[in-house]
Amino acid sequence: MQTPQDSDSLQSSRSGKRDSRRHTPKANMSGLYQRAIREAFIKLDPRTEVKNPVMFVVWVGTIVTFLVTLDPNLFGTVQADPGQQRLLNGLITFILFFTLVFANFAEAVAEGRGKAQADALRSTRSDTIAHKLLPDGSIQEVSSTELQRGDQVKVVAGDMIPADGEVIKGIASVDESAITGESAPVLKQPGTDIMSSVTGGTRILSDELILKVASDPGQGFIDRMIALVEGAERVKTPNEIALTVLLTVLTLVFLIVVATVSPLANYVSAPTTIAILISLLVALIPTTIGGLLSAIGIAGMDRVAQFNVIATSGRAVEACGDISTLVLDKTGTITLGNRLADEFIPVDGHTVEEVAQIALAASVFDETPEGKSIVILAERNSANINFNTDDASGVEFTARTRMSGTDLPNGKEVRKGAVDAVKGFVRSRGGTIPVQLDAAYERVSRLGGTPLAVCQDGEIYGVIYLKDIVKAGLRERFDQLRRMGVKTIMLTGDNRITASVIAEEAGVDDFIAEATPEDKIDVIRREQAEGKLVAMTGDGTNDAPALAQANVGVAMNSGTQAAKEAANMVDLDSDPTKLIDLVTIGKQLLITRGALTTFSIANDIAKYFAIIPTIFAAAGIGSLNIMGLKSPQSAIISALIYNALIIPALIPLALKGVQFRPLTADQLLRRNILIYGVGGVIAPFIAIKIIDVLLPFS
Amino acid sequence: MKRFDVRPPVLTAQIAEDMTEIWSEWRRQKLPLYLFLGLCFNLVLAPAVFAATGGEMSRSQTYWLSALGLVTIALAIYLFFVMFVPEKF
Repeated sequence: MQTPQDSDSLQSSRSGKRDSRRHTPKANMSGLYQRAIREAFIKLDPRTEVKNPVMFVVWVGTIVTFLVTLDPNLFGTVQADPGQQRLLNGLITFILFFTLVFANFAEAVAEGRGKAQADALRSTRSDTIAHKLLPDGSIQEVSSTELQRGDQVKVVAGDMIPADGEVIKGIASVDESAITGESAPVLKQPGTDIMSSVTGGTRILSDELILKVASDPGQGFIDRMIALVEGAERVKTPNEIALTVLLTVLTLVFLIVVATVSPLANYVSAPTTIAILISLLVALIPTTIGGLLSAIGIAGMDRVAQFNVIATSGRAVEACGDISTLVLDKTGTITLGNRLADEFIPVDGHTVEEVAQIALAASVFDETPEGKSIVILAERNSANINFNTDDASGVEFTARTRMSGTDLPNGKEVRKGAVDAVKGFVRSRGGTIPVQLDAAYERVSRLGGTPLAVCQDGEIYGVIYLKDIVKAGLRERFDQLRRMGVKTIMLTGDNRITASVIAEEAGVDDFIAEATPEDKIDVIRREQAEGKLVAMTGDGTNDAPALAQANVGVAMNSGTQAAKEAANMVDLDSDPTKLIDLVTIGKQLLITRGALTTFSIANDIAKYFAIIPTIFAAAGIGSLNIMGLKSPQSAIISALIYNALIIPALIPLALKGVQFRPLTADQLLRRNILIYGVGGVIAPFIAIKIIDVLLPFS
Repeated sequence: MKRFDVRPPVLTAQIAEDMTEIWSEWRRQKLPLYLFLGLCFNLVLAPAVFAATGGEMSRSQTYWLSALGLVTIALAIYLFFVMFVPEKF
C-alpha cells in the first residue's frame, strides 16, 4: 500500500552518493590503441571512407597525388624539375594519407572504448541455465537464451537472474552490482511499482522469486545498452545529420572553387600543379570536424552508459541537451523519499495515545516505509494491535481514493490519508469535521511535511506529521539548470501549502500540488504546446503515459516494465536526479560538436594565408605571406602537416567533451566564439609558422 | 570435308556457366560497370580536351586530365547526393 498524499516514487534515496555511484565499467582498455591503429588502416577501405563525405574527398585527393608522384607530368607538363616535383608530390601524398589515418584512428579509439564497455557488459550476461515453469507446474531447465517474453522462471538464492522480468511471486534480495556498481542488495517483491522489476545478469542473494520474462532473447535492456555503446548499429542523430549536410555543403563549395582556380591561375600567369590544388582543397575543407564527428557522437553514448543510463537511441541523448522544462516528482526525487512519522497531533479532544492507536490500526497492513514508521511511532506512544489481523482486511492506497487503512473485524473502518479525502470519507459516514483539523493541517504543511488525517468511521482523531527532507545540494543543481535555461516543475500529490514550502526550499521554478497522474500528462502537453522540450522521470505504471508523452522520459530501473517500455531511457541506479546529469551530458555533446566545428572552420583563415599567396605569388600577392613562410613548398607542407596533426591533437577533447559550464546560451556562445573561434584563427598561424621553421628544407 | 567440333561439350558448358556468373555479378555490383562506362566516356571526352588545349598537351595527358575532370564531377554529384539524403551516410 502506498502513502496517500503522493503517488510518486516511494524509493528511499541514496543521497550524496551520486558521484560514487557513477559506474566506472570494468572494461579492459589494454591494447585499445594498438587495435585502434590497426582499425585505422582497415578503415581506409573506400567502402568505409565513402560514408564520411569530407574524408572521402581527402581519400580521392590522396589517390590523385599518388598518381602525380609516380608521374609529375601526368596531367600536364610542369615547369619545375621533375625530381623535386616528385619529392613534393610524394610528401603531400604522405601527409594526406596520414590525415586519413588520423581521422580513422579517432573513430577507432572511440569505437574501441565502446566495444570494451560492451564486452564488460556482455561478460555479465553469460548464458545461464534457467528453471522454466511449465503450465503443468513442473520445472524445465533451459538455456537463458531460449526464454521468450511471458515465460515464467523460478530463481533461488545464488542463481543469476536469466532475463529481464517482473516479479510475480516471492520476496528476495538481489545483488545488482554487476549492472549498477552498487554493492548494497535491493529488495524485490511483486505488486509494487518500485520493487517488482529485475534485470538479467543480476544475482539473487536470498530466498526465491518467480519471474515473468519481459523481453525476448537479445532484446533486454542490457542487450540494448551493449548495442548502443558498441556503436556497430549506430544511427546518426538529427544533429549529426544536420552537421553532415553543413560540412558537405562547405566541401562542395570548396571543390568548385578549387576546380576553377586552375584556369584563373593560368590567366594571371601563375600556373599551378594538380598537387598544389589538391593541397589547397584539403586545407580548406573542414577535415578536423569531418574526422572527429563520429568520435564525438560515439563518446557521448559511452558517457551516458558510464552514468549507468540505458538510452534507446542517440536521439534521446541529444534531446536531453535541448530540454527546456524538467518535470520532477517530489517524494524520492526532490525529497529524501523516506518520509518518517514524526508526531501525532490530536484534534477534537482526543489524546495522542488514541490517535496512535487508530494510526496503528490503519497502518498494520501498510508495507511502505511511511507505514512502518507510523507503526513504530505509534508503538512508542503505547499503542498496540488489539484485534486479530487474520480477521481484518487491509485497504490499499489508490491514487483515486488517496487513502489506505483497515477494515476491522468488528466492522469498523479505520483510514488514514489526504486530509480532504478523509474529510469526504467521514462525511459519507455521517460524521462531522472538527474545527481544529484545518489548523493542524496547516501547521504540518507550513513545516513542509505531509499531513495525514486519521479517522475511524465518522470520527477524525487527529493528524500524523510525516516529515519530508529536501535532498542536500538540490538547490545548487536547480540554480545550475536555471542558468542553462531549463525550467523545473515539481509535481506532487501533496496539498498546496506543503508543496509551496518544499518548492521554496528546493528552489524549483514552479510546482503543481494535488496532482493526479492525468495532471502529469497535462503539464507536459502544455509545455510542449509552447514549443518546449520536456523531460520527465517516473517509475510507476501510472507514469507510463507521461513518460511516453515527454520528449525525454527517464524510467527507474526499479520501476515497472510499463514505465521502462514507455520511457526512452532507463536509469539503472534508479536515481531520479540523474535527469540533471543527462541534461548536462546532452548539452556537453552539442557544445563539443559546435566548438570543434567552429574551430575547424576558423582554422581555414590561417590556411588561406599560407597557401593562396604561394599560388598567386607571380600575380603580385606574395605580400600576403604575412607569416613569412620560407617558400611556396614549405608553406604548403606546413599547412598540410598542421591540418593532419590537429586531428589527433583534438582526439582527447572529442572523446572527453568540452567541459560543461552552467552558463546561459548567450554566455556559452560568447565563450565558445572566443576560445574556439578566435583561438581557431590564431592557433594555426602560430603552429604553421613553427612547423615552417622546423622543416629542414626551404 | 568432314567438320570437326574442336570444343568439347564440357568446355562449352563451362564457358556458359562462367558467363552467367559474370552477368549475375554485374547485375549485383554495378560499380565496375559504371567505371567501365566512365572510362569509355573518357575516350569521347579526351579528344575534346585535346582540341581545347590546342595540342599543347600529349594525348595521354589529355586522357588523364579529362579523367580527372570526370572524377571531380562524380565527386560533386556524390556530395549533392549526401546533401539530399544524408541519412544514408
